[in-house]
Amino acid sequence: MSEFDVIVVGAGPAGSSAAIKMASQGLNVLLVERGDPVGSKNVSGGILWGNDLAAIIPDWEKSAPLERYVERKVTSFLTGDSEIAIDFKTKKFQEKKTGYSVLRTRLDSFLARKASQSGAMVITGVTVDALAMKDGRVVGIINEGETITADCVILAEGANPRVAMAAGLVGKPNDRTVGIGVKHVYKLGENVINERFNLRGNAGFAGEYVLSFLEGGVYAGGFLYTNKDTVSMGVVINMETLRKNGNTHSFDIMEKFAQHPFISGLVEGGQLQEYSAHFVYEGGYEDMPRAYGNGYMLVGDTAGFSFSNGMILQGMNYAISSGILAGEAAIEAKKDNDFSAESLSRYQKKLDNSPAVLDKKNFQGINNVVWSPMVHRAIPALLESSLYSMLYETGNPKKHLSQIMMKSLKSSGMNSKDLMLQGYRLMRRM
Amino acid sequence: MIILALEIIVLVKQVPDSQEVVIDPVTMNLNRSLTRNVTNRADENALEAALQIKDKVDAHVTVISMGPPQAETTMIECLARGADRAILASDRFFGGADTYPTGLTLAATIKTFGKFDIIFAGEETSDSSTGHVGPGVAEFLDIDQITYASKVDFKDGYITAERELEDGTEVVRVPTPVLITVLLNSNVPRRQTLRRKIDAMKQGFESWDHEKVGLQPEWVGVRGSPTIVRKMRPIKERERAAKKVDLAGIPDLVKELYQKGAIKLESE
Repeated sequence: MSEFDVIVVGAGPAGSSAAIKMASQGLNVLLVERGDPVGSKNVSGGILWGNDLAAIIPDWEKSAPLERYVERKVTSFLTGDSEIAIDFKTKKFQEKKTGYSVLRTRLDSFLARKASQSGAMVITGVTVDALAMKDGRVVGIINEGETITADCVILAEGANPRVAMAAGLVGKPNDRTVGIGVKHVYKLGENVINERFNLRGNAGFAGEYVLSFLEGGVYAGGFLYTNKDTVSMGVVINMETLRKNGNTHSFDIMEKFAQHPFISGLVEGGQLQEYSAHFVYEGGYEDMPRAYGNGYMLVGDTAGFSFSNGMILQGMNYAISSGILAGEAAIEAKKDNDFSAESLSRYQKKLDNSPAVLDKKNFQGINNVVWSPMVHRAIPALLESSLYSMLYETGNPKKHLSQIMMKSLKSSGMNSKDLMLQGYRLMRRM
Repeated sequence: MIILALEIIVLVKQVPDSQEVVIDPVTMNLNRSLTRNVTNRADENALEAALQIKDKVDAHVTVISMGPPQAETTMIECLARGADRAILASDRFFGGADTYPTGLTLAATIKTFGKFDIIFAGEETSDSSTGHVGPGVAEFLDIDQITYASKVDFKDGYITAERELEDGTEVVRVPTPVLITVLLNSNVPRRQTLRRKIDAMKQGFESWDHEKVGLQPEWVGVRGSPTIVRKMRPIKERERAAKKVDLAGIPDLVKELYQKGAIKLESE
């Protein structure tokens, strides 16, 4: 007989959600996390979108350590001299919140505490070395040569899943499936943040930026999110172009983002409180591993559940929902006393009908567009020169926008046929 | 003849992680809400010294602490490292104690526990650095004490210990019962494996209140503390700077330091 019904490896949003779901239904659960305290090894940009937590913590909007709700969402192109942005603010988000900024050390500790209160045994500061296998099925985990047995292991290791990789359950990350994320948290004070970002109360700002001014062919995106009295600022760098360039460092890109003329004023005088770097999962639907097998399930980033379509960048919500679904599957499997691959395939069926998989499926190939020369170079250049020509008063007779754009297009060196094609692809993918 | 197992007690304390300590600039108190709590490092060395004796002879190691309920993590951690039993003296009346009632409470807890042969304690804690509590407990129990121990060995009812003193090392040999305070970094605490952590969580620890240890509320905690803190002030941070120079730049650097008054000529 196994010591535990289920062992969960990793106390991020995915692992803790699975543990809360299972333990509150009476399963005997062990949640193991290498960070101590929980969350200290975890990094994300910092917006928790959606309402997925409600299924396991009904009052999460009151009880969870949330920073600010997103009231103002900016999607922006930064060129060397300019910023061209969509700045969407709506009071509608006051009634119905769409996302909250969070700090992971606080959120992840909170979720792990909930898991513990639900009856799971939570152990921190321990690294799982490998899966214990017997007759082709997972029977537990191994730490320092000792095996802890369980009927089922849920791997919630994040974007760098060492245990799952070593067991051959997921492929090795490559330059296409991961990017590198670098993040700083600056303390500015609540009033300064409210003034600079034009916010009131606990309303917050979430900005995502295309850093088209970077030299040497490197593609990177930036983000800037407001917390209560700090801001989270970071970059996500495309590994393929970073490696091709060969001599740009991630911290240089972070520095250039922070020094951009229309960004520096927002974070000026901030006191650096935290810095971190992490893999960012960038793989698409086609890269997703099979999320279950004999005695195991994969959740969160380990299963490929993070998503970006150029307008939104999400991960924690999919992590939570995949964790809950894996938890449900384990509860049902426990009733049948069957944790075989066939029994756990019910997890895949649940996933297939969930936004976590449907979004990935519907936006197949989006990464080819998000990390394209069109998005990172042509569109920002075109917008900048067109808007500049249109708005700059020369004293000469005015031209139509289409004329200006055609002229800008010519000077940008981009083939108009290519642009049409790529533009069509972009609209389709987004 | 029945030979009983050696009874070893280890006194431990949970402290704020010294690398993260934040002083509230207004109240001048430690802002404990921002820091995480860890086991006092020297106490981990004390536990390791006890476990090394247990590795050699039949012994039973009990960890005793005084603290609030969140010291649970420290109790579990000590069990996971190899202690057999953990007792936390925890009671709202114990709160706000200085080193006098702390020693008294720990001594009372040990008396309630019963027979013992050796008591280990860390030499001092990282959060207050008084070094009072270990010796205080020895006095309340009226037993011998060895302080500043860097190396401890037990044989045939005697402790042989090396004491690190300012001008050298002293080797002492003392019969049990004895209390020993162990220096920080005097050994390497053993790791906690997942197996041991799970077993520790399953075993759990005991929580004893003032009635259990036989103390009146007015003898302990803030009411039993003779110390009064009149005033606290922060230490001004010294300005530091670093500069990288190559070999040819050294004369200029020396000149610059001289002009700033950071260094002086011998004749001056």
